[in-house]
Amino acid sequence: MNTATSGLLVEARGLTVRYGAKRAVDDVSFAIPKGRVVGLLGHNGAGKTTLMKALVGLARPEGQLQVLGLDPRRQRVQLLASACYIPDVAILPRWARIEDLITLMSGLHPGFSAERARQLLRRTSVGLSDKVKTLSKGMVVQAHLALVAAIDARLMILDEPTLGLDVLSRKAFYEMLIDEWCDGERSVVISTHQVEEIESLLSDVLMLNEGKLVLSISLQDIDARFVALSHDAAVAEQMAAAHPLLRYRTGPGPGGSAAIFDGPPPAHVQALGQRMRPSLVDLFVALTRKPELDRTQF
Amino acid sequence: MQTWDQSQPIYQQLADLLAAQLLDGDPPEGQAMPSVRVLAGQYLLNPLTVNRALQVLGDEGLLESRRGVGLYVMAGARERLKAAERRRFLEDEWPRLRERLRRLDIGAEQLHWGDAR
Repeated sequence: MNTATSGLLVEARGLTVRYGAKRAVDDVSFAIPKGRVVGLLGHNGAGKTTLMKALVGLARPEGQLQVLGLDPRRQRVQLLASACYIPDVAILPRWARIEDLITLMSGLHPGFSAERARQLLRRTSVGLSDKVKTLSKGMVVQAHLALVAAIDARLMILDEPTLGLDVLSRKAFYEMLIDEWCDGERSVVISTHQVEEIESLLSDVLMLNEGKLVLSISLQDIDARFVALSHDAAVAEQMAAAHPLLRYRTGPGPGGSAAIFDGPPPAHVQALGQRMRPSLVDLFVALTRKPELDRTQF
Repeated sequence: MQTWDQSQPIYQQLADLLAAQLLDGDPPEGQAMPSVRVLAGQYLLNPLTVNRALQVLGDEGLLESRRGVGLYVMAGARERLKAAERRRFLEDEWPRLRERLRRLDIGAEQLHWGDAR
């Protein structure tokens, strides 16, 4: 296995990360080619952060893992020359001015371009002489992205980057990411549980449930593999008999019910409903389960 | 943020949106389409999705690729779009609309057809 020759930026096989007896990431296998926007989806505690930490050498995994052709544990310094990471607990020092951070990054990271950072910051309302402590949360996250995107890297890993931001800040963040980072060569992995608003940005999805990878698919293949049918409540029993992954209400009145199938249901079932685009949120609900729900059931 | 419904794949919804803009002359015939990157940033879409939408418009003879410079709106694109839209209206929307007008007893004289001009 060598990601350098296969064109894959990440290749994981049978990856497991244990914290004591608990398997935070449990026998996960996937690959990330270049030029992709990968959504790492899962509820809190599903293993998203642990998996991301493993990708940048901050967790000790079992199984096989190559990132940019390197072993993240043993070749971490080399890896971080071409991969960048914003953890979910990322903070910028409150006392620093943005231009101080640019100077700091220039000294710390050989692949960092101060000129590129200034160019990216011009997109935002963050000024070079602004102190971090005077910035809103949305502006800090934008500044952080600008600093990290100014690294000449091939892989960016973002753990819950937009958590706690208002809608305009989230939009500005994603705009910068799509516009300035995604060039068809570089890839980015973004973890979130705000599935709805990130769906259209993604090229691929990795869905984790209690450490297990329950879905690894391109968005294009979702439309081919899953079939969503909207239907009248009157045919609900026939729908249920065909064993859909999920049934739910979409609204009041006729046609207000829907069902999602993994693979096409029999023709007589398909004829009972109207085919829809299966949404990622519905798949997320169908394939993952909140631990709290389990507890209330038993 | 732009919302996409569940009626059709997102690339098809973007293709419809861009076609509606072309019908309004945005961008005009002979002019360049915005780049994939610009559209992806504007609509917060994955560039692959934007590519598929542009492919659809290309297949419909609305856009042409000029080697090395990008996609341009073809001459006659608006006429073709308008013809297709008229056909769809007359064959699909109008019969349903006419049926509703009849049910509501609304005649031509109540529609003030000339006023909106």
